[in-house]
Amino acid sequence: MGRGMNNDGAKKPTAPAKPSLSALTAAALALPGLAPAQVETDLLYSRYQEADLPGERSSDGVDHPRYEIDTYLFRLAAPLGDQAVVANLTYETLSGASPWYVEPRQAGVDDTPVQVMSGASIRENRADVQLTWALPLGGIDWGVSLGYSTEDDYRATSGGIEFEYRPLGSAHSLSGGVGYSYDKIDPVRGARSLDVIEAADKDSLNAFLGVSWVLDARTVLQTAVSYGLHDGFLSDPYKRVYVVQGPTLIADSRPEERQQFTASARLRRYLAGVGAALHADYRYYRDDWQIEAHTVELSWHQALGEHWRVVPGLRWYSQSQAEFYAPYFQTPRSDGLASSDYRLSPYGALTARLDLRRALPGDWEIGIGGEWYEASADYAVSSVAVESPGLVEYLIFNFRLGTRF
Amino acid sequence: MQRRWHLALPLAALLLSACATVQPWQRGDLARNEMAFEPDPLLASYRRHVEFSKEAASGGATLSGGGCGCN
Repeated sequence: MGRGMNNDGAKKPTAPAKPSLSALTAAALALPGLAPAQVETDLLYSRYQEADLPGERSSDGVDHPRYEIDTYLFRLAAPLGDQAVVANLTYETLSGASPWYVEPRQAGVDDTPVQVMSGASIRENRADVQLTWALPLGGIDWGVSLGYSTEDDYRATSGGIEFEYRPLGSAHSLSGGVGYSYDKIDPVRGARSLDVIEAADKDSLNAFLGVSWVLDARTVLQTAVSYGLHDGFLSDPYKRVYVVQGPTLIADSRPEERQQFTASARLRRYLAGVGAALHADYRYYRDDWQIEAHTVELSWHQALGEHWRVVPGLRWYSQSQAEFYAPYFQTPRSDGLASSDYRLSPYGALTARLDLRRALPGDWEIGIGGEWYEASADYAVSSVAVESPGLVEYLIFNFRLGTRF
Repeated sequence: MQRRWHLALPLAALLLSACATVQPWQRGDLARNEMAFEPDPLLASYRRHVEFSKEAASGGATLSGGGCGCN
């Protein structure tokens, strides 16, 4: 939990925190997770479980299990004078099956798209380490990050620089960052993926700029814009696309460049009368694959007595489809692009969350949480003509343990 | 373009004026952990990773780090 719940969380709802600008900058407008006052350690275990693909949406008419993922995350944040280091370690074990391609239930008779799964269960591990060095320099707080992620068929090496500038006594702060990642994929050949590519790579650049505003004594707002540029192999080497003419299966093929834009706002409002904070987030997304998306998140951070905090939350997401997406194609596209990946299809998704935290003696904290996610054409902002049969539903259960010293 | 600036400047002035009256000693509630934009960075980064692997949209007021071979 680290900053997820500290001593402030154990105070009575109406008790003011230390009335100083430094207290403000330590929380409300600070770079997330940087500049801790104490050594913070935080462990998160998460169990991710996708619902079975139901028989009415699968090609063979029977239910198919999908992914299960166990994730262990460990975070250590330690002050070093006026500097700090933050380490995030992740280890995941993944198993299950994933969508392979979509075909008509019976071409020419029943054109309803049905999902073909990857067949044999996939089992793999992923390890990820992210290190951040935070330091003040020239009146600006800086964060320099390096990261490395590895799994059986994928490696990513990343780095970035973030900054936050808070003019003394000002009600505004300016934050921003630039990051780069080099990702390489070496597909694993399986019984159903004999013709995958040998290897491929991509470069990704992303940047953001944000302004935070103290609107009044209990309200802060952050607005931000971000840009992402991806160049290289952006297709899925394992997925296939069904073309009725033939019929034949062709490789998932996407453009070799993608530009992404977002504009977002995050509002935090403290309601002293009930001892709770309301979080309201919105993000608009657009990319040059013609996908447009909206995300709204609401959460309520309620203190219960001196030791408990309960955080219910709701999230709504909606996206339009990529211009080269279709469940399946009658004939190949003239530009050679094609994808049946449900993640590029038009849909919406709802998420319901509940997290519970308890402060324990000796600066220990413990917590549990749960999350339910369902994607459906019914939740999309625009009407969807044909829903992808591969849309996902999942449950997440998490357990937390943290301390500071 | 000029018309957009005509709209943006009053909006910026409104926001600036709306922000200028809170003194540091009045900001106690803003220093509460639950008022942070990201009170729980570990859980937030985990959720971003899951959503990144299941949805087309990504990005925001954070750096995204490297990708994954998530299916």
